[in-house]
Amino acid sequence: MTPMWYIVLSAILFSVGAVGVLIRRNAIVLFMCIELMLNAANLALVTFSRINGTLDGQIMAFFVMVVAAAEVVIGLAIIMLIFRTRRSASVDDANLLKY
Amino acid sequence: MDKLKLPDMDYVALLPMLALFVAACLGVIIEALVPRRFRNIIQLVLSIVALAVAMFFVVKQSGEVVASKALTAGGAIMIDHAALFLQGALIVLGFVALLLFGERSLEFGGPFVAQAAVTVGSERDREQTGRELGSTETFPLALFSLSGMLLFVSANDLLTMFVALEVFSLPLYLLCALARRKRLLSQESALKYFLLGAYASAFFLFGVAMVYGFAKAVDFKAIHAEALLGEGNSLLLIIGLALLAIGLLFKVAAAPFHVWTPDVYQGAPTPVTAFMASCTKVAAFGGLLRVLYVGFDGLGWQFTPVLGAIAALTVLVGSILAVTQTDLKRLLAYSSVANAGYILIGVIAGQQLGLTSVLFYLVAYGFTVIAAFALISLVRDADGEATHLSRWAGLGARSPLYAGIFTFILLAFAGIPLTSGFIAKLSVFGAAIDGGQTWLVIIGVITSIILAFPYLRVVVMMWLSEPGESTPSVSIPGGLTSTALGIGTLATLVFGVVPGPLLDLAEKASSFVR
Amino acid sequence: MTAIDVMLSAVGLVAVGSALAVVSTQHLVRAGLWLVVTLGAVAVEFLLLRAEFVAWVQVLIYVGAVVVLLLFAVMLTRAPIGRSTDLDRPIGPALLIGAGSGLGLAGLFAWVFRDMRVNPPPTGSAQRVGEAIFGDWVLPFEVLSVLLLAALVGAIVLSKKDT
Repeated sequence: MTPMWYIVLSAILFSVGAVGVLIRRNAIVLFMCIELMLNAANLALVTFSRINGTLDGQIMAFFVMVVAAAEVVIGLAIIMLIFRTRRSASVDDANLLKY
Repeated sequence: MDKLKLPDMDYVALLPMLALFVAACLGVIIEALVPRRFRNIIQLVLSIVALAVAMFFVVKQSGEVVASKALTAGGAIMIDHAALFLQGALIVLGFVALLLFGERSLEFGGPFVAQAAVTVGSERDREQTGRELGSTETFPLALFSLSGMLLFVSANDLLTMFVALEVFSLPLYLLCALARRKRLLSQESALKYFLLGAYASAFFLFGVAMVYGFAKAVDFKAIHAEALLGEGNSLLLIIGLALLAIGLLFKVAAAPFHVWTPDVYQGAPTPVTAFMASCTKVAAFGGLLRVLYVGFDGLGWQFTPVLGAIAALTVLVGSILAVTQTDLKRLLAYSSVANAGYILIGVIAGQQLGLTSVLFYLVAYGFTVIAAFALISLVRDADGEATHLSRWAGLGARSPLYAGIFTFILLAFAGIPLTSGFIAKLSVFGAAIDGGQTWLVIIGVITSIILAFPYLRVVVMMWLSEPGESTPSVSIPGGLTSTALGIGTLATLVFGVVPGPLLDLAEKASSFVR
Repeated sequence: MTAIDVMLSAVGLVAVGSALAVVSTQHLVRAGLWLVVTLGAVAVEFLLLRAEFVAWVQVLIYVGAVVVLLLFAVMLTRAPIGRSTDLDRPIGPALLIGAGSGLGLAGLFAWVFRDMRVNPPPTGSAQRVGEAIFGDWVLPFEVLSVLLLAALVGAIVLSKKDT
């Protein structure tokens, strides 16, 4: 079987996520796009793990999932904190710092 | 089922990290058990003890580094001279920054908000700003972050590096959101830092995947061997390195990945800014050095032109945008961007000379920048810190001592002789000329001159303007801020007058074990 | 073309399609739901790659926990249930850069691995993954627990209110 398509798929998913971060405004959706990128990286890791014939890639994918979970916790805590004041989760409304 | 076979663990090598981690856990327990008014002092003492223990073990190991035994914990960490030097630097700088965390005399309750969950601008919020003691969970969070940094500079494979990167970043995102005053600004800086940081680490991760695809392993020795061998498609390796570099250059705040720096430096509580400006830089450059010198050395430094372009862009962006700033914290942020560029020049210079200059620069800059932010935390009015440039006019007449110290610090940033900044720049540029990167040195010198302008403008404003109605008073610092300020300033002076010992130490440390 | 290849392409198309939907839908809640589809499709790809453990962890952690948290956050921030004006920034340049680099990357991979054939490797069962984690990777694994603890403490600091 050919592993090529898996890697091509991961590259496509990664760039879809990367573009999403650039064009969306809602912090939570931005976050979903980042999750998409992490998942694409996981797919690449697992595929390379298969190509290389070692388990390391799968271990890494597992680690990345845990890291992503921790990131979600922090990210949502910060987003909720700001939302309490601003009543909006749009990153463009959060613009005190832009000038 | 067979018994699991654990790899060899050299626990002494892990002790510096373990000490900080244990102290952080104890700190969490203290939060639960001890009444609020005692927490600050207990947390501070605990943190300092932990840092002292960590430093003890770092120094103890530095005498007995053996190349064959440097690799430990299943190949996850490498305790060589460079790692120990960086760890020592991180611990010392972390100690000075933590002193600022503990300051309670400048403002009732310290620099951190009492309860972050209280809605900004509400009645309850106004009440807590003036009357409640600040949260002290900041100490355990800072210790978590520091232990991640210690791991980051000694990580020997990309996976450990990625995990360590997250361990030191996540607490920093949180710490940014905890300012007592101007809370909205602080929270937005945290959001910005977090989103961009997570974005950058996603790129880092995809880079790890590509390197793994090329080298069949992620430890630096294997990557080096595969790169030397040159089988397979090296384009994979180069793009992988580029993606890794995005993640690392984001952390060091190199252009064009610097956009978060001014906002985050401005919005974060000043002690946290000091911590980030000094320790994060050391950690991120430590990681970058290891990746480039140990992992990707086999590429034959083909990437030098690209890194050179980034370094040139970084110093240009940092120095030119610093000129236009009207807020001191933003000005220092752009100055830190420019300094990241100078350090990058040293990284590109290569060889032992370049490494030595980078290590020296990191330590010298770390001390100076902590002193600078310590001083900024002193100049305040009724609303907290007065960071707008115009407010500093005439400060020299109000409080000549602090204006004098700040002048000295700014001169150090500008690289005037008899300060550590001068020696640091000199050694970096010297190494770059030695490494054949003369064009970078020319750009470096030009931007140093541009950068001197905003610094001198502040100096002129402080000394030659009449103090006006709006010139804020300078708070008399408590013992902690004075100590931090004193250490930072003294180090700036000492490393400028007798740089020999630190340079020797850096030279001894400038060797990586592969 | 084997049965696995057919499945791979079908699931891959689902993954890409739903990923595009996540990025382009104007309904915030639907973006979260499309994310579930993408992550599920990637989990199937993991299974096809014989990474059983990773696939199930993906379902448990991502679909089970992360997305649910995200959806809660969307609802807590009172996102409009209908369309929102979330997508009205200029998307041209980002699209151009992203599509360019994405296609470049995909093309590179397709070229590098064009003739690659691999034999089915040993499966990534929970036992083998566990042995590897607690063997060579034990230090990073333990550090992960530090990370989770720090995240936990931090999230509580940010959201706990004394009455």
